[in-house]
Amino acid sequence: MVTDQYTITATQKYNFPQPAVDTTLPRRFIELSVNSLKQVRDQTIQLNSHSIQQFSNNAYQPQTAQLTQLPIPLKPKPQETTVAAVDTSTIKIGDTSRGIIVAVRGATVWRQTRKYRYTRLGPFIFHLTEENKKDLYSMLEQAYFAADTHASHASPPLQHMPMHIASLLEKWMQTMLAKTITDGILLFDGSLTAGTFDAPIQRVKSLLQASRNNNNVVIAFSKSTTLRFNGYLITDYRMMQPPPYIVEANGLRPKPPVILFGDVYVAKLDRLGYAFRVDIDNEVAFDRKVDAVEKLLGNDFFSQGYPETLRLSHILCTFTANEVVAMQRFIAYKYGIRLINRPDMHRLLFGLFGKGEDCA
Amino acid sequence: MKLYRKEANIVQVLSFPEENVEKGDYLLVEDAEAGKALIVQVIDVQFATVPGVLEELLRTFPDARDPVQGEDIDPLEVAPHITYIQDASLLICKIRATLENQTLTPSSSWLPSRSQSTVSKLSIPMLLKLVKVDGKLPITIGYTKDASLLTVDASALDGRLNIITGKKECGKSHLSKLLMLSLVGYKATVVVFDLNGEYSGLGLTSDGKRNLYYDKIHALTPAQNFKAALSQLHLNVILGILVHALHLPGTSAREFRRIWKTLKDKNSLTLHELGEAIRNWNCNQHVRDALFSRYHALVNSGFFTDNAAEAALLDESLQKAKDHGGAVVINLRNTSTIDRQIVVEYVLGKLVDSLTSWKLKAVFLFAEEAHLYLRETYWDDIVTRMRHFGIFTTFITNQPDTIQENIYRQADNIFLFNFTNEHDLDVVSRAARVDAETVKSIARDLPPHHCLVLGKVVSDFPMVARVKALDVKTMGETRLFFKEMDLPVHACSS
Repeated sequence: MVTDQYTITATQKYNFPQPAVDTTLPRRFIELSVNSLKQVRDQTIQLNSHSIQQFSNNAYQPQTAQLTQLPIPLKPKPQETTVAAVDTSTIKIGDTSRGIIVAVRGATVWRQTRKYRYTRLGPFIFHLTEENKKDLYSMLEQAYFAADTHASHASPPLQHMPMHIASLLEKWMQTMLAKTITDGILLFDGSLTAGTFDAPIQRVKSLLQASRNNNNVVIAFSKSTTLRFNGYLITDYRMMQPPPYIVEANGLRPKPPVILFGDVYVAKLDRLGYAFRVDIDNEVAFDRKVDAVEKLLGNDFFSQGYPETLRLSHILCTFTANEVVAMQRFIAYKYGIRLINRPDMHRLLFGLFGKGEDCA
Repeated sequence: MKLYRKEANIVQVLSFPEENVEKGDYLLVEDAEAGKALIVQVIDVQFATVPGVLEELLRTFPDARDPVQGEDIDPLEVAPHITYIQDASLLICKIRATLENQTLTPSSSWLPSRSQSTVSKLSIPMLLKLVKVDGKLPITIGYTKDASLLTVDASALDGRLNIITGKKECGKSHLSKLLMLSLVGYKATVVVFDLNGEYSGLGLTSDGKRNLYYDKIHALTPAQNFKAALSQLHLNVILGILVHALHLPGTSAREFRRIWKTLKDKNSLTLHELGEAIRNWNCNQHVRDALFSRYHALVNSGFFTDNAAEAALLDESLQKAKDHGGAVVINLRNTSTIDRQIVVEYVLGKLVDSLTSWKLKAVFLFAEEAHLYLRETYWDDIVTRMRHFGIFTTFITNQPDTIQENIYRQADNIFLFNFTNEHDLDVVSRAARVDAETVKSIARDLPPHHCLVLGKVVSDFPMVARVKALDVKTMGETRLFFKEMDLPVHACSS
C-alpha cells in the first residue's frame, strides 16, 4: 500500500526555470517511485527486460474516411517559429515475485534559433504490484489533475500500468510545453483523440486550450494508422500533387465516448519521405493550420517525411539496452535487490524453435 | 573486476572505471575453491561491448549535424550508473603463469570459475617476490607504474644476449649506460663501441665532478690514445682487418700471409718493414697493388704504430677492468667508416685472444648501432661462437631491422622502448622470449623513457618501467641549430 509520503530532496539538476511550470507531477513521480522500490528491498528480480509499446489512440478510431480530392500544396515558411515535441517511453526491467519493475522517461525537444535543445525527465523506476497499482495510479492522477472531477479512480490492469504511467507523464509534459511556449508549433506523438482511459476528454480539452491561450498550434503525428479510403490506407493513397502537401480526411465518426479534437489530414511533407496521418487542433482556423504546417516545414528538418524534433524526442526518451543494465544495477545497488536470470523456458524446451517467452 | 572469457592463453576481464587498469599491469585471477590463481598481464584495454552504447552515442546527433544540447533531469540519479556501464572496459590479458601453493608454473591448462573467481591487481613488488628476480646482484632499472622499484639481477645479464631497442630519443642509450655502470659496479669488464662519443663522460657527474666510476671508465679514442702495434697482432686479426674491413681478395691475402710470416720470423713486424716487404715481394703486380692500397689504408688510419708503448693502453685498460671492474669505451665518434671497421675488427680479435688465453674471464660488450661497423658474418659469430669465449653482447639500436632475425630469436633479454611503426614492431616481435601481441600492443603505447623489459631478466614476465635517472655526464645530446638561439619574437609569432 502506498500511504507514506517520502520527503525527497530535489537534486540540483531538478530545476525548472519557468515559474509557470507546475512540478507537482514529477515530484509525485519521484516519491512514488522511491516508495515503491523500497517495498521491494532485499527481494530477487528476474531479469526480463523488454520495451512496452504505448497504446495508439487510433485503435479507437473508425476504419474509413473520405479524402478530399484536392491536396493542399504547401510552401515552407522560414519565419522563426519554435517547434517543440514531446514523447515518453517505458520499459519493463524485470519481474519480482509480487509484480514488475518498470521505468518511465519523457523527453521534450524544441528547435529554436536553428538549434535543437532537449529536456529529459527521468527515468522513474516503479515497482508495480497488484496491491499498489491502484493507489499509485490514483495518486499520480491526482497530482496531475488535482481539481479534475473527471479523473478516473479505476486502475488499469497491471500489464497496462507502465503505458498509463508513461501516458500521464506525457500529458503533463505536453501541458508544460503548451503553457511555456508561445506562438509555436507543438508536435505530439499519436492523434488528438479523447475519451479513452489515457486521454480523458477534459484533460485533452484543457491541454489544447492552454496551447491556444499561448497562440500555439498542436499537430499530432501518427506513425501508423488504420484509416482507409476506398480500401487503401489513407497514407498509401497517391496524389498527383508533388510534395509537400496535406490532404484533408473527412467523414470520421468515432464511437462515443471517443471524440476527435483534431482535424485529420494526410501529410506528405518530404519528396522522398512517407505520408503520415496528422491531426491538427480543430479549433484553429483553416488558414492557421496550413500556416502552421508551412512554418513547421520552414523551421524543422524532415527525415523520411517525419519532423526531426519529434523523431529526436522519441529517440531521447527511448531506453537503450545499456540503460536497462544500468537501471538493473541501480536497483540492485541502491535497494539490495538480487538480480537473477532464470533460463527462458521456451528456449530451454524448444531450443532454436523457442522464440522467447514474449513471443510465445 | 570480473572474469569474462578465456580463450587459449588469452583471458578477458571486465573492468569498471574506478579500477584504473592499464596496459602492462598484472592481475591475479584467484579461484579460492581450486586453490589456484592465474597470473595474467593486461596487453590491451578495450571498451566492453555493452549493448545499446551505439544508440546512446548516436541519439545525441540529429540530422542537423550539431550535437543536441539539453538537460537531463534525473531525480533518481541513475545517470552515474549509465556512464559506469558505458565506461566499462574489457581487459585483454595474456596468461603468464599459474600460482599454486606459492609456486609458479607456466601452465594455463585449467579454467578458473567465472562466477567465483576474484580478480585483483597484482603489484609489481609482489610479482617480483613471486618470480624471485631480485638476486644477490640487484640492478634497479627504474620505477613501475605503482612507483615501486623494478630491480633485476645482474647475473641474468651474464652469459646472455641482450637487445635494447626503440625509436629515437626514447632513452635507449640511457638504459644502456645504466646497465653498463651497474655491471661495472659489480666489477664486471665492459667494452663499449661508442658510436657517438657519449659514454666517455660516464665517470663525471652531470655538473662535471668526478663520480664513483671515474677511475673505471677508460675512454680510448682510435689514432689518439688508442693505437695498435703490428708486432702485437696475431695474423688472424690483421687478416680479419684486411679481408673483412678492407676487402682484400683471397689471392692477395695468401701473399700477405707469406709476407707476414717472413717478417715475423725476422722479428721485424713494423709498418715500415711491411711496406718495404710488399714493395720488394716477388708477386703479381695486381697483387702488389692490392696489398699496397690496403697497407696505405692501415697507415692512413693512424691507428697503427710501431711504438709499443703507444699501443699498450687497451691491454692496460682491460687489465684494470679485469682487476677492479671497469668499462673500456672505444670512442668511434670521429672515425671514418673504414677506420671504424678496422678498429672494431682489432678490438674483437683482441678480446677473443684475451678470452681464449684466459687473460680475461668474460666481457660484457655494448654495441650501439652495430650494423654501422660489424661485418655481417660477425653477427652469428657474436651470438654463438664468441658467447662461448665469454663475450656477452648488448645491441643498442633504433633500427630493429638492422639486427638479423636469428639474433632476435636468440636474444635472452629485450629492453623495448616505444615504437609506433608497425614494421619495427613486427621485427622485434620475432623474439622467441615473448609473444607478438604483447610486444605490439604494449610497446606502441609506451611513453618516453618507459621500457618494456622482456626475457630472463624478468623471468619471462614482461614488465614496464620508467628508466631511472642517472647523474652522469651524458655527452650524447644531439647538436641543435635553434637551441639557445635568441629568436626574434616576430619571427615566431608570424
